[in-house]
Amino acid sequence: MSITLDQVTKHYGGVPVVNDVSLDIGDGEFFVLLGPSGSGKSTLLRAIAGLTGVDHGRIALHGRDVTHVGARKRGVGLVFQNYALFRHMTVADNIEFALRVRHVRGKVRRQRRQELLRLVALEGMDQRLPAQLSGGQQQRVAVARALAHKPEVLLLDEPFGALDAKIREELRRTIREVQRELGITTVLVTHDQDEAFAMADRIGIMNLGRLLEVGAPHDLYSRPATRFVATFLGAANLLLARRTTDGIQVAGTTIAAGDRTPAVYEHEVVAVVRPEEVEIAPARAALASNYLAGGVVDEVVFTGALEKLRVRLDEAAQTPLLAHSGADGESVELLQVTRTQHEQRGFSVAPGQSVAVGVRRVHVLPTPLSSFTACAATPQLAQELSREPLLMELAARMKTRIGTRCEPKLGVADAEGEASADFVGTTVIASQTDCAHRAEWLLRRGARDLLVLPAGAAAPQRVLIHWMGEAARSATLAVSASVLRHVPAEAVYVGIFPGQGNGGRDAPGIRELLDARSEAQAAHGLEMRTELRFGEVAEELARRLAEAPAQMLIVGVTDLARFAERFRNLLDGGQWPVLIVHRDAP
Amino acid sequence: MSLRAPSVLPGFGLTFGFTTFFLSAMVLLPLAAMVLAAGSMHWSDFVHVVFSARALGSYKLSFGASFLAASINVVFGFIIAWTLVRYEFPGRKLIDALIDMPFALPTAVSGIALTTVFAQSGWIGRYLEPLGIKVAYTWLGVTLALTLISMPFAVRAVQPALLEVQRDLEDAAETLGAGRFYVFRRIILPTVLPALLTGFTLSFARAVGEYGSVIFIAGNLPMKTEITPLLIVIHLEQFDYQGAAALGLVMLVMSFTVLFAINLLQAWGRRRHLLGANS
Amino acid sequence: MSAVSKLLPTDAARPGQHTWLHSIVRWFFIAVSLTFLAAVLLAPLATVFAMAFAKGVEAYARAFADPDTAAAIRLTLITAAVVVPVNTVFGLAASWAIAKFEFRGKSVLVTLIDLPLAISPVISGMLFVLLFGLHGWFGVWLQEHDLSIIFALPGIMLATMFVTFPYVARELIPLMQQVGNDEEEAAITLGAGGWLTFFRVTLPKVRWGLVYGMVLCNARAMGEFGAVSVVSGHIRGLTNTMPLHIEILYNEYNFVAAFAVASLLTLLAVLTLGVKTLVERTGYRGH
Repeated sequence: MSITLDQVTKHYGGVPVVNDVSLDIGDGEFFVLLGPSGSGKSTLLRAIAGLTGVDHGRIALHGRDVTHVGARKRGVGLVFQNYALFRHMTVADNIEFALRVRHVRGKVRRQRRQELLRLVALEGMDQRLPAQLSGGQQQRVAVARALAHKPEVLLLDEPFGALDAKIREELRRTIREVQRELGITTVLVTHDQDEAFAMADRIGIMNLGRLLEVGAPHDLYSRPATRFVATFLGAANLLLARRTTDGIQVAGTTIAAGDRTPAVYEHEVVAVVRPEEVEIAPARAALASNYLAGGVVDEVVFTGALEKLRVRLDEAAQTPLLAHSGADGESVELLQVTRTQHEQRGFSVAPGQSVAVGVRRVHVLPTPLSSFTACAATPQLAQELSREPLLMELAARMKTRIGTRCEPKLGVADAEGEASADFVGTTVIASQTDCAHRAEWLLRRGARDLLVLPAGAAAPQRVLIHWMGEAARSATLAVSASVLRHVPAEAVYVGIFPGQGNGGRDAPGIRELLDARSEAQAAHGLEMRTELRFGEVAEELARRLAEAPAQMLIVGVTDLARFAERFRNLLDGGQWPVLIVHRDAP
Repeated sequence: MSLRAPSVLPGFGLTFGFTTFFLSAMVLLPLAAMVLAAGSMHWSDFVHVVFSARALGSYKLSFGASFLAASINVVFGFIIAWTLVRYEFPGRKLIDALIDMPFALPTAVSGIALTTVFAQSGWIGRYLEPLGIKVAYTWLGVTLALTLISMPFAVRAVQPALLEVQRDLEDAAETLGAGRFYVFRRIILPTVLPALLTGFTLSFARAVGEYGSVIFIAGNLPMKTEITPLLIVIHLEQFDYQGAAALGLVMLVMSFTVLFAINLLQAWGRRRHLLGANS
Repeated sequence: MSAVSKLLPTDAARPGQHTWLHSIVRWFFIAVSLTFLAAVLLAPLATVFAMAFAKGVEAYARAFADPDTAAAIRLTLITAAVVVPVNTVFGLAASWAIAKFEFRGKSVLVTLIDLPLAISPVISGMLFVLLFGLHGWFGVWLQEHDLSIIFALPGIMLATMFVTFPYVARELIPLMQQVGNDEEEAAITLGAGGWLTFFRVTLPKVRWGLVYGMVLCNARAMGEFGAVSVVSGHIRGLTNTMPLHIEILYNEYNFVAAFAVASLLTLLAVLTLGVKTLVERTGYRGH
């Protein structure tokens, strides 16, 4: 491995800007770190270069641990967004700088300079000053300068940011060619997905300091694992669907599930439909693909090669579309469609026209959290709960919706009887005095993911994870990973063992912790710390939560026996949000 | 070509007229008076006044001490500006505000205060006395006073330049393997050099003409510690207006020559260093 | 400057740097700066007050009871009261003409405005002696009409005005250039007149720069020594401003009185710096 990052974490003023990033980049690989501004990608690059220290974790270059090695001695080449050329030096002096520092003989320096100038196609520019070059040429010099000392790794920090579109394209090609010719391991940071697609062997997508997904461009585009990646890499329509034994059910229509194995139980999922996978036709019979719903064309924009439509789905279809943010930040519930010239010629549309909408391909996100339903004894309380700031923030970040439902029997002591309907997605109840009982009532009637939310809870800075019973383990990890992709918090697995710690009992405990960590990492890309405690589970968890503010608990349970009694301390009137993941033992 | 480019804004006639009138009455007319007063002298009288041993001695002191003061200010100005820009320490904001003190403090106050501090019995002078260093009433005192009153010009010239030294440049040099001292010598110093020159120029210009703070600490011995502005005052007190005007003219010509030379040097430097700012 | 201090923690957290070497260099720089400033700046400032109160508060107060001292203070205040408003009007007019319009000879105008800062105050004073003095251009005419400018109040005002008129203009010109003409042009197209535009659009934008320019102008006007010394004639109780009076008291070895008067001017300087700091905190950036 050329670059190895192991649990790299960097805080600024208590906020993690790079959060538990682990990554291996192979020899000669062109790796692109992609993310919105403030996602931590540039900080990560500076950490690899040695210009920023890390608070936690290790960095190795070609097997050499360089975590505590200064930038001078790391042997990397770094190219800056605004070139950072030494303006008082000629092109030749700039390129030879690294060699001069290393006391390389003049003849060798000149030879190397000629070689590099040829490589970046700037022969004969040796004696120019940076000010006499265009922006594109300056950046070429910067690349040549970064390569002069034959670094093992080339790092590029938004190198095309300051250039206009044409020159950008040309320089992209040059850098790709140089990289192929030298076979140098390269990491490029950008917020431009076109750039990432055009250059990368592999792309790593960062958001909120976390490395969300890593993969080849095509794989990430067609099979994203998270909502963020699905919407950040190109446009995407997110739909709430149901996974049934037959396939994916969207708005009453069942679409073949594709390559995935059918689900053992029916549940709500989030489906991704790319705009180019949507088909529109005059009538349902004319569709070549699966019928989704009827709709009305809201807007038609001609963009040259493609036509972009926005279609409002019929109310009657019980629109499964999740709102996405429009350009003005207002949420819109319109289906995005792009059509080629060819399709336009076959069926031209105008705003206001009724159409039948079909879907060619659906990708189901493996995320376990689909939507939220605020649940209370009266509709008014449910409404109030659905407007809790933390819940609204979570839903906004997850690009999902908050529904409400009323369970009149909720909160009535020892109430018998069934729930009013099936539970879908994550059920949310307010934290109050007897909420352990309410939680048990809901869990016994089929609620699978239950969030107990105190009024005015703050966004968590630390998420504690624990499960009771191995059956809940993988679901708890999946839910935790999903939550942590959307909040910038650190994840801590709390292992709890009965009684006081002693030498004989420690060993299996620690192995269990490590197993949990590696499963979280391998299956969900979730990096978490581990903590070991001794005592009664619910008691210890309550104690741990009381230790610091802004913490949240995600707890997996299998056995509901004496649930309310066991969890009273943890749930009744607690100041922390608790997400209960209930899975039956097989 | 008309006098000015068209603009929709009113008030050009009024403000331009007033400005021109004010400047003509306040600056051009008096300057003309000086040039004519000096010009109406006999050539031999002019040479006699301007090249007298006493005048030559005063030039040497005025320009020499100013040159020395400006040089000291470039060194300390850089150190102070660097400290203020790069380091965080208690009292930094207060020190930053105090830098302008010599600029706001009346020169007569600076003069008597410095003289008192550096006199043989003064707070600092008493410790220098046993070392055989006499500051008050010597050329050292003159230099010291000039250093004090021109110090803000050097610091304030260097400060913005240091602020603008891109951290990226230092980072780039570091990833290329350069050590801190090498970065300082090859990257930072060349970048702030034009600002250092500007600081020198401004300090020098202020110091050459200074009068109030110097006359108290100088001792004013002819040939030894008498600065040119004082010599002009002495001529005026004897109602030798022509002699005073002649000395004034010489001073003006000499300072403008020095400033012009430094400006040339700077323009040359700017062509080399700062072109990059435009692209 | 705040942007830089935000970078500091990053710098300190860099791997592979000798933190002890860093802090040695850092403390060396801070120590050199503070020592230099203490010797040439703080010690003299402290001396002013130490000397003024050397013989107690009573002696300090007595210094101001002297009628000559009172006259010097009055003269300084009168001079400033005339000079500062005139220079403010000039500064506003000059900056409007220079910042808002393009015309030929603009750089000549700017150079002329800077000129008083470049020449010795003694020469500045001399210019007026050459014009209005006994052997000056208008000397004979003035004598015939029994008018005196040199060795009298008008001369002091003229010399002070000459030395201090650049300050307001130099604060305002870059500021007006920086804020641009867009808002003024918008106001004119909306039908506002010239004066309305000036008072309602331009002045509010540059008011802090104007305040600082005036305060600085005032400080220099009250403290001017060289130019005034040449034109005043040093007549006690009549043409002695505060700085000139300090010189006389000092040369008479009346140190307490000299430093007592000096302490007033020092307070004025401190006040001026205070205003400057406040003005900078409002977001306006001076030179």
